[in-house]
Amino acid sequence: MPTENPFQDALRFERRVPECVVVIFGANGDLTKRKLLPALYRLAYDRRLAAGFAVIGTSRTALSDDQFREKMQDAVKEFSEDTKFDEEVWRAFSEGLFYVAGDIGDAGLYQRLAQKLSEIEQSRQTGGNALFYLSTQPSQYARVAEGIGAAGMGKGSGWRRLVVEKPFGHDLASAGELSDRLHSVFQESDVYRIDHYLGKETVQNILAFRFGNGIFEPLWNRRYVNHIQITAAESIGVEGRGAYYQEAGALADMIQNHLLQVMATIAMEPSASFRATSVRDERSKLLRSIKPMSPAEILQQAVAGQYGPARIGGEDVPGFRQEPGVDPASQTDTYAAVTFFVENWRWAGVPFYVRTGKRLPKRVTEIAIQFNGAPLAIFNGDETKIAPNLLIVRIQPEEGISLKFLSKRPGSGMNLRPVSMDFNYGSSFGERSPSAYETLLLDAIIGDPTLYTRQDMVEASWAVVEPIQNVWRETKFDFPNYAAGTWGPAAADQMLARRCHAWRRP
Amino acid sequence: MSIVAPEKILKELADLWVSTGKEGGEAESQGVLRACSMTLVVIGEAAEDAAALGETIAALMPEHPARAIVIRLTGPGERALEQRVYAQCWMPFGQRRQICCEQVEISCSDAALADLPSVVLPLAVPDLPLFLWCRSPRLLDRPEFREIADMADRLVLDSARLADPKAALERVAAEVQAGRLVADLAWTQLTRWREMLAEVFENRQNLAHLAGTVNFTVGDGGAVTTRALYMAAWVKDALESLHVAIQVTISANPNQQPFFLDLASGGFTVRLERRQERMLTTVNGLCQSTHLPLPNDYLLMREELGIVRRDPVFEKALALAARLAYATDK
Repeated sequence: MPTENPFQDALRFERRVPECVVVIFGANGDLTKRKLLPALYRLAYDRRLAAGFAVIGTSRTALSDDQFREKMQDAVKEFSEDTKFDEEVWRAFSEGLFYVAGDIGDAGLYQRLAQKLSEIEQSRQTGGNALFYLSTQPSQYARVAEGIGAAGMGKGSGWRRLVVEKPFGHDLASAGELSDRLHSVFQESDVYRIDHYLGKETVQNILAFRFGNGIFEPLWNRRYVNHIQITAAESIGVEGRGAYYQEAGALADMIQNHLLQVMATIAMEPSASFRATSVRDERSKLLRSIKPMSPAEILQQAVAGQYGPARIGGEDVPGFRQEPGVDPASQTDTYAAVTFFVENWRWAGVPFYVRTGKRLPKRVTEIAIQFNGAPLAIFNGDETKIAPNLLIVRIQPEEGISLKFLSKRPGSGMNLRPVSMDFNYGSSFGERSPSAYETLLLDAIIGDPTLYTRQDMVEASWAVVEPIQNVWRETKFDFPNYAAGTWGPAAADQMLARRCHAWRRP
Repeated sequence: MSIVAPEKILKELADLWVSTGKEGGEAESQGVLRACSMTLVVIGEAAEDAAALGETIAALMPEHPARAIVIRLTGPGERALEQRVYAQCWMPFGQRRQICCEQVEISCSDAALADLPSVVLPLAVPDLPLFLWCRSPRLLDRPEFREIADMADRLVLDSARLADPKAALERVAAEVQAGRLVADLAWTQLTRWREMLAEVFENRQNLAHLAGTVNFTVGDGGAVTTRALYMAAWVKDALESLHVAIQVTISANPNQQPFFLDLASGGFTVRLERRQERMLTTVNGLCQSTHLPLPNDYLLMREELGIVRRDPVFEKALALAARLAYATDK
């Protein structure tokens, strides 16, 4: 009897996708409708899912299979931004959609799910493979995992994996406790902590750019790099998520997970191979090399901000404290800027300025690597000081890479001017880029955790962020300290000015 | 006879970039972005639909930005070579900057074919691969073809354009034997079909059915085409590598689906068929429908331009398909 598929063609075929059932907890929620089902439908549309692929949705709302299919059809039609809705593809895909109603605190729900899983394994030949996706309140993660375990679904004839969304705990201790409870059912290698930033094409392209080319890596160190700025700016406010955001804040919501992962990707050592373990080991090592700050350092190297009301484009926008569901005296940071230092031979002494905020002038996420100037200015005017060499990795909205350098202006004099050499991801490759959720869901089904966060990374991130949180918790801020539509508080500019640096205006 | 000087063309290309960059006014313009990942030489008959070919090349440019050199064969007559140079530009949605690629068009009579390499080679972009897409079956039989094909890092043919499938496979095989990296668009058409068939056997239960004797039928409108031969050869080779006995049939029934695959082993059945822009995969009665656009030159070339190395699966299938063609003949 054959054990290997004889029909594979690695040169031309997409990666192999095993058959499986995806069990979504919180299937009536926003994430399922906006992201998960559109991503799964797109994968089906692109022939990326196995024939027997199935989804079991579960939530408290009583729905039949058909009602669930109808709801999901509406969601796919509404939220699939760049995918044509094909009735025939949907019909075949939706035959694999099932629904089980119940409360996640009720042990009976897990028994019913186990029964359904077993039926589907037979009818759709899913080989016993199951991916449990927790799209619930974070406080329910451990409970659901334990429910899965108690009903015997943590193990089966195929593989069993668990996907959890951030936040992974709210501090170091709670992150450890969450991991311990998840590990009571799933091994760490079967826990996929999703960070959708890592699924973005450009973040993945950082690895290709750094380790697929020979010319950049020699410059990628303290000798040539002056400093690095990582910016994740949002132009919108909390958009109805005031109550949630008030508990999280910018530091925990963005820097602890997304931006530290991005920083780890830009600064990590080359991995021995592109195997998941090697790449994640290097990311983890980098995170553990970030110097935790003392309270005195935090006052100098971290800035919290909160936006106040302003008039933008002729429209009055409320301050954070005026948003629905937000405490009028809230001390929550809607802006955070931190100067990190990495204690290793490559990066010692190079500041990593990381900032994120809501209600900033524009939506942009990018990494700017500023190189040291030429050691000697031999031209008239010291343009090298005004226009340093910059390598900019743009993550959104326009993915790409730009290199800024000086060039001679045409004419008789030796006048220099800065020019930009751009690689634009969208226009250099006309092909549609998969969404982060398509990439990450497929990776989880295939069993490739390269772009997922591991427990030690989560804990290393919290070890860096928690001391800042603790100091900020003890501080009474004079909020608001920046107006909506501006680039954050003046203190953030001063933080860089102390090292004779300035934030870029992306 | 008009003279085509490569230096003159290169100068025109350089001027083209300057003028394209100036278009739109200094203040308003964000300039143009030049992109290039290969030289794409397309040789076709002058009688071919120039507009359709131009559209195909333009559609390929965003994903495979190239210096495109289109050679139009004008046929018999006196020795003549003529050229023109222009830019292929597009403005990505929501952006102010144009992306442009260069295009050179050369008209060439049969008598001037021998001069083509001396014109084309200097025009190739240095350090980047040169793809030669030969759309003219007539050119394959010309003595000048060998020297023209030698310019290419990869030669793209379409055996379906040749009248006799057996001779077509022999022709393609001869190019491979000559040491060239060859692509055949008739084979490229099969990628999505092969991938779906492979996907079926990712399931271990399905894989377990590949035992005993497997009956495999491929149909292509009742004709023995190179496409059908490739598919039969590929399946046969894959199964025989596992020591599985296989009975291959190329359906002669013209009333069946234009292209379909049937695989049966014991009570286990797999059927792949096209229904408009969808592929239906039916495994033991369980049917899956996926998007499958109708193949066209753009889609096929898009795939081939992404490959710049030897394709061992294709080369094995080609060798076996040529043998099957002989067997079918008898």
